[in-house]
Amino acid sequence: MPVRVETFDSLDAAASALRSTRSARFFGGGTLLMRAANHGDQSFDTLIRARDPSFRHIRSESEGVSIGAGVTMKEIIAHRDLSFLIPAAQAVGGPAVRNMATVGGNLYANSPYGDLAVALLVLGARIEFVGQGGRGVEIEEFMRDRDRHQGSIVRAVVVPRPRDPSSFRFVKVSRVKPKGISLLTIATYLPQSGGRIRGARVAYGAMGPRPLRATAVERLLDGQYLDSATIERAAAAACDGIEPRTDSLASSWYRREVVGIHLKRLLTGDRR
Amino acid sequence: MIEFRKEYFADERDDNLNEIGKPTQRQDALGHVTGRSPYFDDHLFEGLLHIRCVRSPHDHARIRRIDTSAAERMPGVVRIVLGKDVPNNLNTLLSLLDFGIDDEPLISDKKVSYKGEPVAAVIAESERAARDAVAQVRVDWEVLPAVLDVEEAIKPGAPVVNDVYPGNRFVYHGKYDHQKLRFGDVEAAFRQADRIIEGRYQMSPIEQAPTETCGAIAAPETNDRYVVYTSTQALFFSLDTTSKLLRVPSNRLHLIGGTVGGGFGGKVDSLHEPMAVLGTMLTGRPCKYIFDRHEEMQVGAPRGAERWYLKDGVMNDGRIIARKFTGYFDSGAYTRLSSYAIIKAVGHLPGPYTIPNVYADVYCVFTNRTPATAMRGFGITGVDFAIECHMDKIAHELGMDPIELRILNAYRDGDMKAHRRLAKNTALIECCHVAAEKAGWPLSQAARQASSLRDGGGARAEIPHTVTDQHGRVEGYTAGSYAQKKRPSGPAGQARGPQSPASHPSRDSIAVPSSFDRAPQPMSRPAPSAPPASAAVAPPPPPAAQRPAEQHAPEQRRVTRFSSISGLRRR
Repeated sequence: MPVRVETFDSLDAAASALRSTRSARFFGGGTLLMRAANHGDQSFDTLIRARDPSFRHIRSESEGVSIGAGVTMKEIIAHRDLSFLIPAAQAVGGPAVRNMATVGGNLYANSPYGDLAVALLVLGARIEFVGQGGRGVEIEEFMRDRDRHQGSIVRAVVVPRPRDPSSFRFVKVSRVKPKGISLLTIATYLPQSGGRIRGARVAYGAMGPRPLRATAVERLLDGQYLDSATIERAAAAACDGIEPRTDSLASSWYRREVVGIHLKRLLTGDRR
Repeated sequence: MIEFRKEYFADERDDNLNEIGKPTQRQDALGHVTGRSPYFDDHLFEGLLHIRCVRSPHDHARIRRIDTSAAERMPGVVRIVLGKDVPNNLNTLLSLLDFGIDDEPLISDKKVSYKGEPVAAVIAESERAARDAVAQVRVDWEVLPAVLDVEEAIKPGAPVVNDVYPGNRFVYHGKYDHQKLRFGDVEAAFRQADRIIEGRYQMSPIEQAPTETCGAIAAPETNDRYVVYTSTQALFFSLDTTSKLLRVPSNRLHLIGGTVGGGFGGKVDSLHEPMAVLGTMLTGRPCKYIFDRHEEMQVGAPRGAERWYLKDGVMNDGRIIARKFTGYFDSGAYTRLSSYAIIKAVGHLPGPYTIPNVYADVYCVFTNRTPATAMRGFGITGVDFAIECHMDKIAHELGMDPIELRILNAYRDGDMKAHRRLAKNTALIECCHVAAEKAGWPLSQAARQASSLRDGGGARAEIPHTVTDQHGRVEGYTAGSYAQKKRPSGPAGQARGPQSPASHPSRDSIAVPSSFDRAPQPMSRPAPSAPPASAAVAPPPPPAAQRPAEQHAPEQRRVTRFSSISGLRRR
């Protein structure tokens, strides 16, 4: 059963082709999909591609930056409006992977992949789908119910610009540097007003099957000064309400033990 | 950057050799940096077929039925191979050296004992067609309880992993369910010691992770021969294994090795050549069989896990007077090379130290894990990790400097090692000196003045009175030739625990002449010259300065020979 590749000029045509069969997958950059194809994945026999130029736009809008789902990590790193995302885009794979891996693919990537999505989650991005009008969905809702969106194609992601770039922090913890996969990814967005944190957002990657918010940590940080006592309390609660996964990189126990330490280092700016 | 410290042992070395001691370029370096080194997979054949295996998703399961009918109808499928298609479907690598009993099928047909064990192979026109057909093979499994821990595996009532060894333990020398080392009397020495210091050390399996995964291509050659291009690290192992499994004389097999794209031991007991040749025999066409990355990690044999228990009798001045080891090597489901790794390990005990009483029981244990094999210094690295951690632990408990402790207990030229060979060319003390110097680590004057060349031998060269025992004795295996085992009819034949010595003859009652001379086990015989019992448990005499250097060589030359596998010497 050879794998068929179908290429469409418009995203709408690609979306309807994708809807018409359950054995098709939409091809973004192929960094995960081609591996599955090469390893004989029996769940699909068709790859659907789109050459729609809007798929690769990066556009500033009033609400933030609209990034086409086909934009690669390398293009994010190179774009002057997206410099705040460089730490996250740079964390994905090696140069060859970053050259192909797309924003849309990253949103659908299962743990331990999907580092960029952790940053998008913490920044409160909005997901727009092909063939669906309206405002799309908040990334949090998308992540909560991602399986429901398997048959859809993401057209673009609208990322609000952080008012103060230093309020966004990102760290990927991996055993192999610089190209290792994630043992743990942490992104924090801690805007401050009058010295106090207002609207804290903290998200983890590789702690569950998909990126998730650390709501216990957010509650502890909100309204506080980012001082050492607050950071200690946040680190102690780093894993509250979260059951990390065990995979070949680390056990659930290990992730539970170290997540607070890495969160503390990130919040104190202690780079090792 | 290599630094030669030629001031050491200058009189033992000829510095005018053409190669040794001089930098030399790797013979494959130019090919590697210019991208021209040929690998096995660079050989192209018209009409090449691809082999993919159907693998067990279970750690331990009986095969009730394999249904290949749907797979056979898949496009591109040329042939499906089952265990019954393998002419001689049972082998163990070291049977080539007459060490161990055949215990592993090429393609399993009765049960699987590890996750990923092959139960069928699909030969197809493309790799994709082979993968698609593999997905269509239906296996009716009867899942069995699995055992994944070495100590659990040797408890009574544990699931039997490997039917050839019902006690889940390899049988050494046809006699024991473990490899013994006996030197002196550790129990008596423990009673004399100021302290007993114990430790438990565990090493995990390690995947060799070659860049090129294991593989081979076979093709028909003229004169009824088969040519095989292979990534093997051990061409003659591969040749003989193929010859044995397929019952083909080795002169009909033309194996061509070459560049190994990373090996590190993982390509020593490769089973790709027999599979590729079998495919070619059955189809008449060139066949390639290569692991993908997932198979390399899951199925490719790793360095095995080891667990070690150490118990030392230590004097307050730092002298170690007794060291007892209990070791468990996790061989995985089949023997491969762990049995041999243990022989190496036991020959190495108690590490580079002179300890007058040494005892070891080392078990090669079968568990429902991926079979383990060679990897860089296997058999030594694991126990060295345990020994050196334990040395640090002793130093810590005594409040001693860890390097001084090592120098105090270091072996020196002329000392008797526990496996009854005189130590020579020892250099631990000098290594400690240089390491301390490089680290800016202060040493006492006595430690600085110590030398591997001085103060060894004498009383330290004697073999102590040695206490022996029969525990772990098994019956029904012949000591002379493992391949011609006399196996008991039931699993009761293998001892499941220590047995009283009285229930067994103290000497081997089965003498099987063999083409392969196996050295008798020194530990089962009385020591050649037993010193008074009181001397046996005495601490090692402190290094004596009076012994002249020319006494390094043993006084008396005996007829010696090696058994290549056990490394033991006949006296």
